[in-house]
Amino acid sequence: MTAALKRAGASAAVLAAVLALNFFLFRIMPGDPITGIVDPRFSPEAKAQLAAQWGLDRPMSEQFAVYVKEMLSFRFGLSMMTGAPVWDELKRRVPNTVALLLPALALSSALGIWLGVKAALNRGSALESAVLLSGAVSFSFPSFFVQLLLLMCFAYYWRLFPLSGTTSIPPPPGGMAILDYLWHLALPLFSLVVMGFGGFALYIRNMMVKALGEEYVLMARARGLPFRRVVWNHAFRSMLPPVLTILLLSLPGVVSGAVITETVFSMNGVGRFLLEATNSHDYPSAGAAFFLLALLTVGCNLLADVAYVLVDPRARRTGARD
Amino acid sequence: MKKAEKIKNAKRLMSVLSLALLAALAAIGSTPLGLKDGQVAPPYSKPHWLDSKVASTIELRVSSSDGDSAALSWVYSPPLRVWLTGTLGAGSAVRWDTPSGDFTLTREPGEIDLDFRDIPFKRALGISPFHDMAHALFPSRGEYALSLAGSGDAVMRIEGGRWGLLGTDHRGRDVAALFVMGLRVSLIVGIAATLIATLLGLSLGLLSGYAGGLTDALIMRAVDVLLSIPTLPILMVIAGIWGKDLWSLVVILSIFSWMGTARTVRAMTLSLRDSSWVEGLRAIGAPRGYILFRHLVPETLPLLLANVALGVPGSILAEAGLSFLGLSDPRLPSWGRMLHDAHMFGAFTSGAWWSILPAGIGISFICLIFMDIGHKLEEMADPRLAALTKRKTIEETS
Amino acid sequence: MKRSNYFVCFFSVFLISVFLTSAPAAASSFDISQYSGPKMKDLYYVIIRDMDARLLAMSTGKLDVLSDIYRPVDVERLLESGTADLSLASTFHGMFVTFNTRKFPWNETVLRQAASQASERKKWTRDLFSGYCEPMTGFLPVISPFYEKETTAFPPGAEAARKRLSDAGWTWNGDGWLVAPDGRELPMTNILCPPSSVAATTTEIATLMAETLVSIGVPARAAPMDFQTMLARVDVRDFDACTNAWSMSRDPDVLYSFYHSSMDVEGGYNLSGIADPELDGILHELRYAPDEAAAREYSSRAQKMLSDLMPVIPIYSRYSISAMQTGWDGIFLTDRNTADNLLTLISMTPSEGGPRPIYWNIPEEIRTLNPLVSSSAYDWMVLGTIYDTLISVDPYTFEDMPWLAESWDISPGEKGSVLTFTLKDGLKWQDGHPLTVEDAAYSIQFIKDNSVPRFYDSVKDIESIETDVKNRRLRITMANTSYWHLHNIGGGILLLPKHILENVKDWRAWQPSNTPHKALDGSMLTELIGTGPFTFRESRTGEYVHMTRNEHYMLRTAPE
Repeated sequence: MTAALKRAGASAAVLAAVLALNFFLFRIMPGDPITGIVDPRFSPEAKAQLAAQWGLDRPMSEQFAVYVKEMLSFRFGLSMMTGAPVWDELKRRVPNTVALLLPALALSSALGIWLGVKAALNRGSALESAVLLSGAVSFSFPSFFVQLLLLMCFAYYWRLFPLSGTTSIPPPPGGMAILDYLWHLALPLFSLVVMGFGGFALYIRNMMVKALGEEYVLMARARGLPFRRVVWNHAFRSMLPPVLTILLLSLPGVVSGAVITETVFSMNGVGRFLLEATNSHDYPSAGAAFFLLALLTVGCNLLADVAYVLVDPRARRTGARD
Repeated sequence: MKKAEKIKNAKRLMSVLSLALLAALAAIGSTPLGLKDGQVAPPYSKPHWLDSKVASTIELRVSSSDGDSAALSWVYSPPLRVWLTGTLGAGSAVRWDTPSGDFTLTREPGEIDLDFRDIPFKRALGISPFHDMAHALFPSRGEYALSLAGSGDAVMRIEGGRWGLLGTDHRGRDVAALFVMGLRVSLIVGIAATLIATLLGLSLGLLSGYAGGLTDALIMRAVDVLLSIPTLPILMVIAGIWGKDLWSLVVILSIFSWMGTARTVRAMTLSLRDSSWVEGLRAIGAPRGYILFRHLVPETLPLLLANVALGVPGSILAEAGLSFLGLSDPRLPSWGRMLHDAHMFGAFTSGAWWSILPAGIGISFICLIFMDIGHKLEEMADPRLAALTKRKTIEETS
Repeated sequence: MKRSNYFVCFFSVFLISVFLTSAPAAASSFDISQYSGPKMKDLYYVIIRDMDARLLAMSTGKLDVLSDIYRPVDVERLLESGTADLSLASTFHGMFVTFNTRKFPWNETVLRQAASQASERKKWTRDLFSGYCEPMTGFLPVISPFYEKETTAFPPGAEAARKRLSDAGWTWNGDGWLVAPDGRELPMTNILCPPSSVAATTTEIATLMAETLVSIGVPARAAPMDFQTMLARVDVRDFDACTNAWSMSRDPDVLYSFYHSSMDVEGGYNLSGIADPELDGILHELRYAPDEAAAREYSSRAQKMLSDLMPVIPIYSRYSISAMQTGWDGIFLTDRNTADNLLTLISMTPSEGGPRPIYWNIPEEIRTLNPLVSSSAYDWMVLGTIYDTLISVDPYTFEDMPWLAESWDISPGEKGSVLTFTLKDGLKWQDGHPLTVEDAAYSIQFIKDNSVPRFYDSVKDIESIETDVKNRRLRITMANTSYWHLHNIGGGILLLPKHILENVKDWRAWQPSNTPHKALDGSMLTELIGTGPFTFRESRTGEYVHMTRNEHYMLRTAPE
């Protein structure tokens, strides 16, 4: 119970920090603070309504309270680019981002874990070298460079995948639309997995090498338990908490990667919206997009915690993380 | 095992040597190497060594005083860019004789300033605006001649489309020169941002570990929070709203990358604080500042050095990412911006891989070098801490 | 002068300007009655932001029309692919560098003249556009029927520029920087421009201009900044110099807006702040010219004077280049008209096979589809196929051409010009309701009453509007006399349906494309209802806008 509270507290702290940062960034902009929220092109009614919504006539501390309340209720105000409510713009884009991020995360961690363990079991093999290399690659290659190369090879020269977008035009009817969507998603997803699994694999391999040298593993093997069972049930089990920590720590990076991926593959997601909003100084939209990305990170965080508790009943007592 | 060790050491040596070489290159800069800024050749000229069917730059001169014809044996594919300058007397003409026909380039008296790209020039010779004039005026191999009938002088500059070591980009700038300038930016941003971040991390880590209590709790919660926020979006927003120049970028980057170091330093400080000799120092009344700076800081130094090396790739990649998104100063030729330009200006469709690969490989290579050196430093600093810092490595770069 | 107008003018792509891009040649007058359509049922405006992706889509047949090709490499690629026909035409676009003449040193005419002389326009257009662009030295586009050739020609080159300055008593200090005759040194000139991510070549122009200024001893640098921030600073005149691109029209009265001192108010178009009494007088005569002869004379005098005063430095005018997928018939194309125009859209049919959708590229995200507030040129690509004006422009002769109005008349009244339009018979809105003069009157009155910025300049001098429903006649009395009123109202104001406009509460927040509206036949449309050839159906963010043939279109003869 306390563990759950602690986790919730941590998530709340992150959200609070993001909100404070947002508020701070967008209210102390050069010039009139109101231009940060209210575009001069808005009608007098819209201006008055926005001023009332954000409590612009009240002191800063009260404004912050109002701001937090409005952001948490997803009332982000009006976009300066389109004049429509920011949430209307965002909610069309959130599914694309989620559809890209969650599978990318799941696939790259699963692949990373599997290859990492394999590499640890086959020390000195070509596989191990490959894992070491892929780890180095994922830490030092710029993702957009790899993505551009992929795009050039598999969409431009060999036209296996589309160059941009998330749908064919017109969209194919019925169930085909889902296949069409997946086809558009394939290359970006692939690139995220390619750039993502190496880090996990390297880390798992290092942990597993260490774990296999531990006494309890040797003991278990001495007792004649099948090797597979020793590896997965004993050694891997013991690694779960740090593995989870690594997974959580990689989340912000994955979300950051989404911004670039959506730009390279011209996908209509929250990340690209953030870039557009930043470029056109549409502060309400930029702030809301950033908030949503942070929220997504926190959400994944909690999800991982829940998953962990399900995997390991001990965590219910001792807390999900160290 | 010994042989493997040797190979490993050789690799490490290579890393250090490469880094030294690159640093020297960055320090020297492009000008002393004879590389010129600005436009030097036609856009997307190939590297010099790539294709011998493509001509280099050739100039033909004719004037009424030194004979009126300049001959040229042409064995190349049509040039990328040709232009004609000079002055022409009244009633004179500049002609261009090709194996498959002769053209009168101009009869207009006065200053000549014609370029094969000028649409009025194309139209004057009866060539469609979309047609490449070079194909019409350099139709095949053979003997060509530029001649002047009457008075005046004219220079025809023929740029075949080969330039330098790495060719040119979409604006005809030397990719090799841009590469060296980009290297400098990457190194400055990477190292400066990481140094500042490390100093921040060191101070906060020491403070947190030594002071303990509320300060410790506050700093560590801040670390937790900052580690859970996606940094690129925040960097984008800040770079979009505030400055985009090199130094504000360095400051912004360092503000969001001190957390890992702080954690490590705090852990070390905690273990050292409770060690018997520090307790001994405290017992004989050594002031807190003295203990911190005479004993704790030197203890953490080797590890910090490793931290710097391991942190540099993160900063370099962050800078490259922002530049790629177009959020950096366009006047600073960085590697990320080179890729941004290649993406924006059709290097891919033009097949101009020489303007794409150097920057991408440059970033990857320099990051690999720093990672390698960082790992070595880490092992040297304290093998026992390897496990602790492994985690940090991943945090910093993910 | 309101701000939203001004946004549009900063963008160079504008369907109508492409449409107008024909020569004032003596070709036979164009006969719209020979056209019928639209022939195709479905139109998809496909949003592809990435140029490489656009090229690929063209070469794989997933795109039929590609407008506004700006990268020379793309021209080469399209030619190589062999699946596209390219067309090129001059446009009414103009790129200028504007100097703030309100303060030293740019209040010095000789310095502006020298800067213009030193600018290597020809080289810049070659380097930046591979020649697919025209160097510009005048203040109206070369293809404008009012363009004046006989203006003062200053010898080009940095040397000539330095000579002009030294003749006027300017000197250079030890470091090579310019010193004014009265001994003042020059402050740094920041040339504001949009960032290269938004307009790469404009940033380049600013950089080249800065280098040019430095070459004659003026400290200068390009200052790329966010576009909105730049506009805001220019609006309040907080700048030394800036780049700006205008999409002009066939009429020269834009010169009044750009260079008359009364237009130098916050947000006004007179950015340079030029205030010359003689010029003001000429421009006033031009704006209120009663007839064409007077218009020609004063337009010519204004241009001559401007080339001496050089309030802004003209740099280049773009060619419009567009590509059309091969395999389509009915393309409307002249040597001065690119293929991507409304007539092509109406009459295009596949050479072989049955009907198929038209895929027409839009290079940027659709922002707002509201004809009263939309400012992006790309939004207007869509809106331009939905809404119509009373009169249009003959693509060959530049003369006025019947559109929704079958005839018109402009005559001097007691106080000001009196305009009379007679609507065509049997016009219908896309939802099936008949279009009457009441709709036209209501649209114009609505725009005037609400001071809708985009159109307000055209309607602000309206004194009264009378309608005669039976004879389909609309009579508009103006408060003053001007030759341009006919074009401004007849060609400038879009007609919107009264039965929809009546129910709009806040026109700025109105989102017609998201508001369902029932057509007469019971089908569901949106409130985006006009008289144009295609009806709006659906917009999918970042992907496409789907439109279908308007069966009630005035040029649609018989259902097929």
